[in-house]
This record gives sequence, structure tokens and C-alpha cells, in this order.
Amino acid sequence: MDEVTRRQVSDAQLASVLHNLDPDRDRPADVIVAEHLSVGFAGQSVLRDVSVALPRGTVTAIIGPTGSGKSTFLRTLNRMNDRVRGFERQGDVHLDGESIWSPGQDLLAVRRRVGMLFQRPNPFPMSIRDNVVAGVRAHGIARGKQLDVVAEMRLREVGLWDAVKDRLHGSPYRLSGGQQQLLCLARALAVGPEVLLLDEPTSALDPLSTEAVESLFRTLTPALTLLVVTHNLGQARRLSDATMLFYDGQLAEHGSTAQVFEQPRDARTARYVQGLVG
Amino acid sequence: MAQVLPTGLPSTRGRRARAVAFRVLMLGALAFVVGPALWLVVGVVGRALPGWRWNVLTTLSQGTSGGLANAVVGTLVLMAGVLILAGTTGVLTGIYLSEFAQGGRGVTVVRVAIDVLAGFPSIVLGYVGYVALCVGLGWGFSLLPALMILSFMVVPYIAKATEAALHQVPTSYREGAEALGMPGGHALRRVVVRTALPGIVTGLLIALSIAGGETAPLLYTAGVTNNLPTWSLLHHPIAYLTYYVWTDWNQPTAAAHVVSYDASLILVVMVLAMLVVARLIVSRTQRHAESAT
Ligand SMILES: Nc1ncnc2c1ncn2[C@@H]1O[C@H](COP(=O)(O)OP(=O)(O)OP(=O)(O)O)[C@@H](O)[C@H]1O
Ligand SMILES: [Mg+2]
Repeated sequence: MDEVTRRQVSDAQLASVLHNLDPDRDRPADVIVAEHLSVGFAGQSVLRDVSVALPRGTVTAIIGPTGSGKSTFLRTLNRMNDRVRGFERQGDVHLDGESIWSPGQDLLAVRRRVGMLFQRPNPFPMSIRDNVVAGVRAHGIARGKQLDVVAEMRLREVGLWDAVKDRLHGSPYRLSGGQQQLLCLARALAVGPEVLLLDEPTSALDPLSTEAVESLFRTLTPALTLLVVTHNLGQARRLSDATMLFYDGQLAEHGSTAQVFEQPRDARTARYVQGLVG
Repeated sequence: MAQVLPTGLPSTRGRRARAVAFRVLMLGALAFVVGPALWLVVGVVGRALPGWRWNVLTTLSQGTSGGLANAVVGTLVLMAGVLILAGTTGVLTGIYLSEFAQGGRGVTVVRVAIDVLAGFPSIVLGYVGYVALCVGLGWGFSLLPALMILSFMVVPYIAKATEAALHQVPTSYREGAEALGMPGGHALRRVVVRTALPGIVTGLLIALSIAGGETAPLLYTAGVTNNLPTWSLLHHPIAYLTYYVWTDWNQPTAAAHVVSYDASLILVVMVLAMLVVARLIVSRTQRHAESAT
């Protein structure tokens, strides 16, 4: 493209064209919005007054000392805490502008749209191929021969295809820990989530597998919005656009990752990111 | 050396002695289990084989002589019936207790009921069946009361084995299914029950072996007949192998004793065959289990 043609398109026109091409143009810019969210279990307060907005297509890291409520926050976002004994909540969480607890909201649909990856890889006791399509099957998204197509597509997406294509009907537990986590990622991606919640997804993996999983996460945006809990501050810096720091159930700090790590506003954040606490 | 160790820590020698004692106890326990099992199988096979005629399987009984075809088919029918009736009820009860029960009075009632059934002497249960079903409801000696009484007997084993097996299913499987938005029933069938299958099958096997080997409650409910089972659930007595094991052994003639041994042998072979088939099924469904690697 030369100078002349580029000048003919004004910035405003370009913006409007890009806007129309954006599949998410009719949706709110923030995919998840927590408003004054407080959570407790049987009267014991765990999260207090958390308000945060997660822009679509970004990676947000959640850091903070052990027991500060990071997992609780994550598990509240896809309603995994709903059935936990004594679960209490105040405030609200909006997914694409609608409360996840609104009566019109289907719990299973919320979980399909907000997927989750756990600390330890947890493949189901079924073949590798059946693992990938387990959710797809449950939601009736595909069936029969289509399932094979879905399985291959998702395994390719997470870079596992070449390693497993000859043992699709074999056991997932013979894969390495990192490969198992990728398999779980493929399984989560297969149901087409908008948001992925990742609770210390690489803490059970060695550095090389961590590297592989991390670099994969980067390819998932901007199609997906990622929320990653991590104790690995280096990982938070490498991976995320924004960082949240929980401290004792409160959101002590939230800002761009560069800001949180280089110019923390909160004294507790400053000490935490310098490795003095936690 | 021993004096150097802080008090309270066992010395190396003490630890060795305890390890040896433990091994001896363990081997003793194994011998206690394996010994009688072997002795039983060898004893039954050794006595039944010399007089074994294949036509025992194809000819009907004539009182204390003749074949055992009616009893073989009768026992198979009883076992199949128990598998259906007690298997369904027991597995569903176990699933309820493990997955759905929220505590409260209803659950306590179910648990107590299970314990009562498990603790009931089978002969009493049989007599109750006779009084209430065969006479009270006028069903006579027949398949249905026999099935019901056998099922009441073995349902506790199945329910408890199922519940225990489901409790063993790792939380991470359940959470993984939940996080995918799998509907509860789907997760239960495809992930949870499937993982618990070996334990559930073990419970079913124990139940079936008990049902096949039981005599007392059947004397009161099934009656006996020289004929093959009919398709009717009521008013038609049904023969079973343990009846012949017991009555023919108490006959004075050697011919009757042979029939008794034959019936024992057939029963043993049936139970063993069942174990093998069940193991095959389990190993087939568990080939992707975490423990299989
Ligand atoms: N189901 C529950 N019932 C009662 N208390 C709970 C429950 N789940 C979490 N908590 C409490 O909530 C607090 C926060 O726990 P959470 O797991 O969210 O911490 P975390 O920040 O993820 O910690 P870590 O970094 O160790 O994973 C803890 O004090 C914990 O004991
Ligand atoms: Mg946690």
C-alpha cells in the first residue's frame, strides 16, 4: 500500500470499517463486570466489595497472598460456588451486560460461556478424543462424525495434535502433565467459551511445559478473555495486560500490568510485587 | 546406639521386629482367606468330577434322582431377576445417598432401613416372605416372592458398595464436568458412575453370589419343582441348585450324593464364570482409568 492510497482513507472511516468487522461490536466492551461483589461462606467473609471490569479480549492476572480470595473470586464468576455449603453473596456479576444470577440466565449456559482450567490437570477417565469432545457432547453442539472433526480442530489449536493423533483412543493419563493440561484446555475451548478462568494453570508443570502453555494462552486473545490466577509474578508480567492484586479478600490494586508492577499505588502491592510478602 | 536416640522413637530393631510381625499377620490373613477357598473348590471338584455326566445339565430332576436342568435354569432365572430388581434398586439407592441426599430425616430413615435389612437373618426374612407374600397375598411358592426376598437381602450390599464407590470419585472429575456446564445427569452417567463402576460391579457380584448360594429364604418362598421355570411370576414353584445340594446330601443313597456334588460343582462354576465375566467388563470400561496407567 503506498502513501497516496493510505491518505485517501481517513482515520474515522477506517475506524468505522473496523468497527463493522468486529464480531463483538454489539456487545459491551467489558465482558465481565463485578459490582460491589462480596462473598462469604457460612457467615465468614471471604471477598469484600470487589468492583472490577474486564475488557473483552484481554488477559488479566490475579495475584495476591495465599488465602486472599483469588480462587473464590474466580469460582464465583462461573457460579461454581453456588452449590457450596453456606455460600453467601452480595453485589452482582454481569456477563455481557446481564447478571449471571438473573432468572433468565441458564446456569449451564453461563458455564459454557465462562470456562475454567484448574491447578491440576483433570482429564476424565475416557479416551483422549472423548475428553476433548466431552463438553461438546453434553451440550449437543456436535454429534457422530462431527465429533472427530471437533476433536482434531481443538487438538490442533492447542498444539497437541501431532503428539496424540496416533493414540486418540488411548488413555489421557499417559500424557505428560503439560500435555494433560493442554488436553484440558482443548476440552474447555471445544464448547466455545467467551471467557476462560485459569486457576494457577501452570503451577503443577515444569518450566518447559509452562512455557508451552503460556505461549498458547497468548494466541487465545483477542477471541477470548482470560483471567489467570498465578503465584508466579514473572508469569503475570509476561502474560497479562492488566493485573489485579487481592489482599485479605479485598481488591487492593487493579491497573495495567506495567503500572501495578512499576508504580503500585498501594503500599501492600509494592511490598508484594517486590517479593516481600506472600 | 539405642541410647543416643531420643526417647519415644522406636529403635531400628524394634521397627524391624514390627515389620516382620506385620508381614506374618498379613500372610496369615491371606492364608485364612485363600486356604478355605481353595479347599472348597478342590473338594467340590474332586468329588463331583468322578461321577460327572453331562446329561445332568439337560435332564430334569425326578425327586432325588435324575438331572438338574430345572434347578440350573431356576437359579439362573433367580440370579437374573435379582440382578434386575436388587441391582436397579440398590444402585439407585446408592446414587441417591451419595449424590443427592442432603442429610435430614429422610436420609436417616433410608440408612437405618438398609442396616436393618443387612442385619436380618435370611431365614427370618424367608419366613416373613412366606407368611406375608406366599400365604398372605396368596401368591403361593413362586418366582416373585422368592425374588423379592432375595432382593431385600442383597440390596444393602449393592447400595453400600455403590455409595462407597461414588464417594471415591475424585472431586476434580466432578468439578471438571461442572465447569464445562455439563448437565448433572450427563456428568453422573458419563463421568461419575463410570469411574465408580468397578466398585459398583463388585457390589453386584457379591449380591449375585449370595443370591445364588442362598437356601433358607428360598425354602419358604420358591418351593421346588421337577419342571423348568415357566414365565409366570406367581403360583408356580421354581427349582434352584442349593435345594438339591442340601436335600440330596441328606438322602441315604450314593446316587443322591452324586447329584448333590453335581449341584455344588455347577454352582461353583457359575459363580466363577460370573467373576470372570465381570472382571472382563470392568477392565474394558476402565481401560482409560487413572489407575490403569
Ligand atoms: N468452601 C469454602 N468454605 C469455607 N471457606 C472457604 C471455602 N472456600 C474458600 N474458603 C476460604 O476463603 C479464603 C480464600 O480462599 P481462596 O481459595 O479463595 O484463596 P486463594 O487466594 O485462592 O489462595 P491460594 O493462593 O492458596 O490458592 C480462605 O480463607 C479459605 O479458607
Ligand atoms: Mg487458590
